[in-house]
Amino acid sequence: METVLSISNLTKHFGKIKAVSNVNLQVKAGQVFGMLGPNGSGKTTTLGMLMGVVNPTSGSFKWFGEEPTHHIRKKIGAVLEHPIFYPYLSGQKNLELNAMIKECDPANIPKVLELVELSDRKDDKYKTYSLGMKQRLAIASALLNEPTVLILDEPTNGLDPMGIAEIRELIKKIAAQGKTIILASHLLDEVQKVCTHFAVLKRGVLVHTGPVDDVGRGSETVEVTADVENLNEVLLKFAGTSTINREDGTFQVSLRDGFRSQDLNKFLFENGVIASHLVTRKKSLEKQFLEILAGA
Amino acid sequence: MLHLLQIDLKKLTSYRTFWVICGLYFVTLAVATASGMEFLKWLARMFEDFGQEINIDRIPLYHFPDVWLNLIWFSGWFKIVLAIMVVISVTNEYSYRTLRQNIIDGMSRAEFVTSKVLTNVLLSIISVAMIFFIGLVTGLIYSPTQAYESILTDVDFFLAYFLEIFFFLSYTLMISVLIQRAGLSIIVVLLSQMIELIITVNINEDIPWLVPYFPMRSLWNLIECPYPRYAFQEIKDYLDPLSFAIVAGWTIVFNLVAYRKIKKSDI
Repeated sequence: METVLSISNLTKHFGKIKAVSNVNLQVKAGQVFGMLGPNGSGKTTTLGMLMGVVNPTSGSFKWFGEEPTHHIRKKIGAVLEHPIFYPYLSGQKNLELNAMIKECDPANIPKVLELVELSDRKDDKYKTYSLGMKQRLAIASALLNEPTVLILDEPTNGLDPMGIAEIRELIKKIAAQGKTIILASHLLDEVQKVCTHFAVLKRGVLVHTGPVDDVGRGSETVEVTADVENLNEVLLKFAGTSTINREDGTFQVSLRDGFRSQDLNKFLFENGVIASHLVTRKKSLEKQFLEILAGA
Repeated sequence: MLHLLQIDLKKLTSYRTFWVICGLYFVTLAVATASGMEFLKWLARMFEDFGQEINIDRIPLYHFPDVWLNLIWFSGWFKIVLAIMVVISVTNEYSYRTLRQNIIDGMSRAEFVTSKVLTNVLLSIISVAMIFFIGLVTGLIYSPTQAYESILTDVDFFLAYFLEIFFFLSYTLMISVLIQRAGLSIIVVLLSQMIELIITVNINEDIPWLVPYFPMRSLWNLIECPYPRYAFQEIKDYLDPLSFAIVAGWTIVFNLVAYRKIKKSDI
């Protein structure tokens, strides 16, 4: 697969603060790449360097195998932190200006406005927009030059649940077109839902990188409730049980390798226990993320 | 190049403040420079009240070639209004953080500075064109001589006038980039004459040769006040190459400092 972005030993110090230290990373074409990390872990600084607004202290990066120039940035769509536009210009005029800067065809403007459902508000001044509309205009602007790579930094920050769902759908729609997306977020749920790969930053250091699908591999946890007194004892008798936790009236059973939830279900039934509630829990990205951060 | 100017004009032409300030500038400039005769008439009436008489026809305010230098020197006072426009245009890019977004969208830092400098050039050219037009019209109305040679005398001062406006807007651009806040930048631009005056007065005793090299001072030397000639004093009615070089040198320095600052900083 073609490498879209390769970062080598990228470092940024603000005085004594080491915002980003020696980050090495590769993003391939077609990946939806999630950048995770607590607030202040260097996600935005890293993206700022990739987009030319922060001068790196040392290290380098290449877009499409080329040294970065402002011409390359014109081929990338990016929204860093919050949306930035001229408040006194209308959405339409802001996009016209961006089309001039990116030297792309202004004929794309109606298309992207349609995609983010802002066509009927395009002639209103940007400052009259709600936060969700501002975010959507920013995504429209990022898509203006039909980029093959899209960088989104906290695209759902400050949105209401409906807005979050809308943006998430939009990202999936864009990803389905085969675009490479780099998505920085501290919302793990979001990353797990849309990303194919992810990296974790902690205090400027890259502590993990890998595919999202790998998360949740390994042992299963099964959540069981049944209307019997001695459920605990029955579960302990099951050969596949590794540990049992009682949480909010349900039993969380961690299974040994090689045992699946259906084995447990069968065992219970054979022992005359009928479960009223039985759910297989994959390990969430959240859990994995916290483990990675704790381990680093 | 033209593309960069178009980008900056696109930002400004939908900005109401831009039209208000530019409108005020060009209207006041036009009215003030064109109404010199009316001012002289008013002055004559005042003197009449005191029992004295002055013959305003003896004051060749709008006669070729005097009209050029008279208008150019007087118009220089209004450049502060354009400077405030430049402060607003540049500091907005910082307060809205649009400078950052412009770079992200694919402008280089040099292109950004160039787009601002080109707008300054354009504003300077419009100022020159307007004063030239007003000078020509008022001259044709009031001047007794309409000979080509007297019309063409001293028009080289328009080069100096262009440089004066462009110098000052470049200075303002630099201050705005360094300070990044509108209010403080305007105060610094307004006070810079006075600050420089305090410095030059203090060093005038010890190192007088250095004084003409100070930026604001060099501007006064480039276009000296022409009115003392009506009190039978000699004035410098030629373009001094050294003054011109000093002002041009400072103009280059201001633009380079603005560029270096934007180049080096994280935005």
